[in-house]
Amino acid sequence: MTSYFIRRLLLVIPTFLGITLLVFAVTRVVPGGPIERAMNEALLAQTDSAQMIDMNSVAGAALSEDQLAELRAYYGFDKPWHESYVIWLGRVMQLDLGMSTRYTEPVWDIIKNRFPISIFYGITTLILTYAVCIPLGIAKALRHNSVFDNATSAVVFFGYALPGYVVAIALLTALASAWEWFPLGGFVSDNFDQLSTLDQAIDILYHATLPLIAYLAGSFAVMTFMVKNSLMDNLSSDYVRTAIAKGMPFKRAVFRHALRNSLIPVATSFGQLISVIISGSFLIEKIFNIDGFGLLGFESLVERDYPVVMGILVISSLLFLVGNILSDICVAIVDPRVKFGENGS
Amino acid sequence: MAALLEVRGLRAGFDTDTGYIEVLDGVSFELAAGETLGLVGESGCGKSVSALSVMNLLPQPAGKITAGSIGFQNRDLVTLPKEEFHDVRGNRISMIFQEPMTALNPVHRVGNQIIEAVKLHEPNLSSAIARRRALEMLERVGIPAPDQRLKEYPHQLSGGMRQRVMIAMALTMQPDLLIADEPTTALDVTIQAQILDLLREMQRESGMAILFITHDLGVIAELCDRVTVMYAGCVVEQATVTQLFSTPRHPYTQGLLRSIPRLDATPKQPLTTIPGTVPALIDMPAGCRFRNRCLNAEDDCELRSPDLIHAAGRQIACHHPVAEVMP
Ligand SMILES: Nc1ncnc2c1ncn2[C@@H]1O[C@H](COP(=O)(O)OP(=O)(O)OP(=O)(O)O)[C@@H](O)[C@H]1O
Ligand SMILES: [Mg+2]
Repeated sequence: MTSYFIRRLLLVIPTFLGITLLVFAVTRVVPGGPIERAMNEALLAQTDSAQMIDMNSVAGAALSEDQLAELRAYYGFDKPWHESYVIWLGRVMQLDLGMSTRYTEPVWDIIKNRFPISIFYGITTLILTYAVCIPLGIAKALRHNSVFDNATSAVVFFGYALPGYVVAIALLTALASAWEWFPLGGFVSDNFDQLSTLDQAIDILYHATLPLIAYLAGSFAVMTFMVKNSLMDNLSSDYVRTAIAKGMPFKRAVFRHALRNSLIPVATSFGQLISVIISGSFLIEKIFNIDGFGLLGFESLVERDYPVVMGILVISSLLFLVGNILSDICVAIVDPRVKFGENGS
Repeated sequence: MAALLEVRGLRAGFDTDTGYIEVLDGVSFELAAGETLGLVGESGCGKSVSALSVMNLLPQPAGKITAGSIGFQNRDLVTLPKEEFHDVRGNRISMIFQEPMTALNPVHRVGNQIIEAVKLHEPNLSSAIARRRALEMLERVGIPAPDQRLKEYPHQLSGGMRQRVMIAMALTMQPDLLIADEPTTALDVTIQAQILDLLREMQRESGMAILFITHDLGVIAELCDRVTVMYAGCVVEQATVTQLFSTPRHPYTQGLLRSIPRLDATPKQPLTTIPGTVPALIDMPAGCRFRNRCLNAEDDCELRSPDLIHAAGRQIACHHPVAEVMP
């Protein structure tokens, strides 16, 4: 088992290289990189009310060849892309993600500031999803086809059918704007630093309620039905029948025998869920004015702030890879049959 | 003979999407203490449904018993409240199943699954004693290195070993009746023989009765005292093993016996089969259910379904039984 996980950890390296290499190459191919941005800025500064003329020739005039070469060298565009990839990778190894071209700040500092927010929303969403979906799935499986089962299915599917940003806008318009029960956005109040610890916690929750609802509305359906269907399969399994034949009451057989087996698919999904959730949703972050990873990634992409894009990619692909290994560990804990290729069986 | 188990006029069936289908049409049989009764019949005739009815284990919520009684130790299991059933199942009546591969929970250790069976009925027993009981049982069912096996998971055992574990689990509480639903069908022939030997030995030690379900008439001849033959949800004949094999009276029983391959038959001769097929459950003909395949069928078979009547030490449901001499 241990050797399996060591092998899995080692596999992270080639996978990580593959992902970053691919995206790095793409940033080189797509038009409109930081050089073009600098040229445009220079152009705008020079001819404020210029007519629309051929961009390249004018831009060439706006920045001298020397300046352009300097810029290219600064961004590493003067070398072939694979060379600059190696240079970039070397810096990442030293935990240096480079400078943002938009903020001219170290990428790591920018990302670091968003971390607490994204982790707070990510972990809270994850916990709430499991806390709601597992009991709900169990209750639905035990009361299959009852009024309760059908009513909750309707609610869960309604949430699933509505995109998260629609829920977000609806909540914002009704509960924050019209009735002013909740703040319009942000992660904490402006006077956060002056509050007591308890009030700080309340303040965070107060701000987090609406975004969390928007995040969660769509996420219940898949997990709830995964739990329900998998439990129903196990309820009709032979070993549950064996347990009852031994004299065990049905309810106890459900919790002692069927449940653990039905949590195996849930454990499998854990790794992906955690990385997806922490990466956030830029639309919801935008609507509630939350400075998380989702919004940062989106804006950096639009602004062609490639160092930040690559920085986020590094973090999220590592999260994804580590999350998958965590999933495997969870599955191995729940299911003794999983031996991960050691001495056969 | 004071019956330990007495099934009378049992009707059971399932609610399906297309409506209720009746699977058992008045099944009756009985079993004395310490006796082994074989239950045979073609696939789908309702053997498992009969056994599961006794254990009140019909798949829920579709399966239900609609009529009849199941007498067991002065109780009627059909009307027994659910709570009281927990004391019967696993304690007085145990059951082993056809598929040892799926009958054990894959995520719990073998030992814990046996210990659980003990603790369910003797909750005050200390864990150490319950564990020792489990160990003894594994030893008795012939599992080598039982203290090692106790810690293993079902997937680490072979099919034969798992069936032994199932037997150990079923017998820990020394039940008065063991229901074995094709316990050897999924195993290969040598293992099959070992399991049958084991059951016989266990029965000799504990004096329990066994209801043994099988398609295999050879197994019946080897293991059972009496046989109940079922056809399409009805009992057609019931007799001692010797009676049944020497002089089958119901035309269906006769057909079954003729379809066993024989060593003294001419080689390469096709096996005798019963012509025709079992009528569908949703479309059971009136009268005798076997009549469309029966060589003895006459007009009255269509009018009235035959009752199971006692005749010369056996029970038979047929208007025109075969004469007592084997042709
Ligand atoms: N859950 C169910 N829902 C509907 N019909 C069922 C269900 N279980 C069994 N049946 C029907 O009941 C009939 C009897 O089934 P049963 O399992 O008792 O047969 P059997 O005699 O044990 O056959 P086999 O030798 O193949 O085990 C079958 O025709 C089957 O289609
Ligand atoms: Mg069966």
